[in-house]
Amino acid sequence: MSSRSSALSRRSDRIVLFTWSGAALCGAALLSPGTVTDSVRVSVVVAESARSGEAVLVTLRLTNTSDRRVTLYLTGRAITFDIVVAGSDGQVVWRRLDRVTTQQIVHVKALAPGETLEFQDRWRVAAPPGNYTVTGVIPTDREPLRTAPAHLRIAPPP
Amino acid sequence: MRRQSILVRSFAAAALLVAAACSDGTRSTGPEPTPVLRSAQAPDLGTLARTVPGFGGLFIDNGVPTVYLTDVTKRGAAERALGGFAQSRGVAPGDIRVLQGRYAYGDLDRWTQAVSYEAFDQGGVVFVDLDEAANRVLVGVERGASHANIRGLAARLGVPAEALVVRETDPIVYAATLQDQVRPVVAGVQIHFGNFLCSIGFNAVSGGQNSFVTASHCTNKQGGVEGTQYFQSLSSQANSFIGTEVADPAYKRNLAPGCPKGKLCRFSDASRAAYAAGVPFTLGGIAQTSGPNNGSLTITGTFSITSEGNAVVGDVANKVGRTTGWTQGVVTNTCVNTGVSGTRIVQLCQTFVSAGVGGGDSGSDVFGQTGGSSVRLLGILWGGNQAGTQFVYSPITNVEQELGALTTF
Repeated sequence: MSSRSSALSRRSDRIVLFTWSGAALCGAALLSPGTVTDSVRVSVVVAESARSGEAVLVTLRLTNTSDRRVTLYLTGRAITFDIVVAGSDGQVVWRRLDRVTTQQIVHVKALAPGETLEFQDRWRVAAPPGNYTVTGVIPTDREPLRTAPAHLRIAPPP
Repeated sequence: MRRQSILVRSFAAAALLVAAACSDGTRSTGPEPTPVLRSAQAPDLGTLARTVPGFGGLFIDNGVPTVYLTDVTKRGAAERALGGFAQSRGVAPGDIRVLQGRYAYGDLDRWTQAVSYEAFDQGGVVFVDLDEAANRVLVGVERGASHANIRGLAARLGVPAEALVVRETDPIVYAATLQDQVRPVVAGVQIHFGNFLCSIGFNAVSGGQNSFVTASHCTNKQGGVEGTQYFQSLSSQANSFIGTEVADPAYKRNLAPGCPKGKLCRFSDASRAAYAAGVPFTLGGIAQTSGPNNGSLTITGTFSITSEGNAVVGDVANKVGRTTGWTQGVVTNTCVNTGVSGTRIVQLCQTFVSAGVGGGDSGSDVFGQTGGSSVRLLGILWGGNQAGTQFVYSPITNVEQELGALTTF
C-alpha cells in the first residue's frame, strides 16, 4: 500500500457525527444541492477555488431529512466513502478509493431525525488549472448514494 | 417460523404453476392463462355444484368461461348460473363452453378431501388438488416418489382409478433469499453481529466442534477472540442466534518476512464460530442461486463441497454472498500481499478474482465448480475494489494454517 493510501486510511477513521444546523463549514465553502431521496440527503462541501499544490478539504454530509429514524446499510467497519474529482471534459483526475481494497462488510447505521454523518478528506491538487467537479459517493449494499457535483476552480500556483 | 425451512410441501393450487409435464392417467387440459385480472368475482364453486345439475368444474380457457357437466343437456342451467360472470368478461352466456364431464364436482371435492387427509403421510407428496380444468383429482408427487402408493390409497378411499391423476412435480420451495433466515444453515447466507452484516463462508467441524467460518473482520474486533455472537439472518428475528466466535488469531508485526514494516499481518482474514446447540446446519452446503452474475439472491438449490484446493491464475472462481449473490470470474493474481484500506493491516498471500462483489459479501465462500453441484472449496472472501468488479479472498490453505485443521465436507 502506498504512503498516500496509508495517510488516507488514517484519515478515513475520523468520522464526525453531529446534528445538522444548516451552517456551512466556512464562508468560502460551497454546499452542493445534494442528492435527495425519500429520507436522506447527501451533499458535498468544497472550496470554490484552490491553487495547484494545495490540499483541498472535501466534506461529505449525509443527513436524515425525515421526521423518523432511518436505518442505512453502508459499508466498511469504518464507513467507506469516495470522492471523485473530474475535469470539465468529464475525465476523472482523482478518486479517493482508486486501486484500494476495502473490506466488504455492511455497516448498519441508524440516523435520528435531522442527524447528519460527516466524512472528510483532502485532495492534494495535482491537476492543471481549470474548472473541475467534485462528487461524493457513499456506497451501500445496493446503489451508492451520490452527491450532486460541486464546482471547484483550480488556479495556477502563485 | 415459515422461513426456517427452505423446503416445504404445500397443499396449494399454486403448485400447478410449477408442475412438470410428466404424468400418468388422464392428461389435464390445463386452462390457458388469462392475461388480466378482472374485477368480477368468480362464482363460488360449491354454489354452482348445488344449482347446476351435474356441474363438474369451471375454468377460463382462452378467456372463455368453460364448464364441465356430466349431463350436457343441462347447459341452460349453466348459462343462467354463469351468465353474469361470463358477461363481465365480455362473453355472451350463449358462448359459455360446455365440456362433457365424467364426475360431479361434489364427488371430486369429497375424494380430494379424503385423499388429502391421508396422502401427506406418504413420502414425496407435494400437493393434492381438485383440478377443475380436468374434472379429476390431481396429486403432485416429487420425482421418484411412488405413484402406486397414491393409487392404492385412492382405491382404498373409494376414488375411481380414472378420477385420479398422479403427476410428478418439483417440490415447492419458499422463495428464500440469501438475506433470509435459512435452516439448516448453509454457506453464503447473511449473518448479523453488532451493527454489521456479513456472509457465512463454510460450515466446518474442528476438534469435534460444529462451527462455521467467516471473515476475521466479521467479528467484534478483527484479530483476537471476543466471543462475538452471531445471528442468522437478523438478531431481531426469533430463534436467530446461531453461534459464538471461538477462533480468530491476532494480527502481528513481523509475522513473516513478507509483512511490511509497521504493518499488522495475517495470512487469512478468517475466524471460526461454534454453532449453538441445536442449530441445524449442512456440512459442505453452499446456497445456490439461479445462475452466476445475474444478480439474483433467491436460493434455488445447494452446492456441495466435495474437495478443497488452491487456484492458479486463469482458473475460474465463484462466490455466493448475501449482497451480490453468486458471482463468477477468472483468477487474476495469486499470493498477493494486500493492504486493507482504512487499516494498518496487510493480508499476506491473497488471491484476486475478476468477479462481482459488494458490501456484505465479506466472509463468503469461494469455490471452483467440479461438475454438477459439486464444488472445490478455495477460501474465504474478505475484500474488493470500489467498483465492485474484483474480489479478494484468503486461500483455504492459509485459513487452515491459522485456524487449524477443519473438516469442511
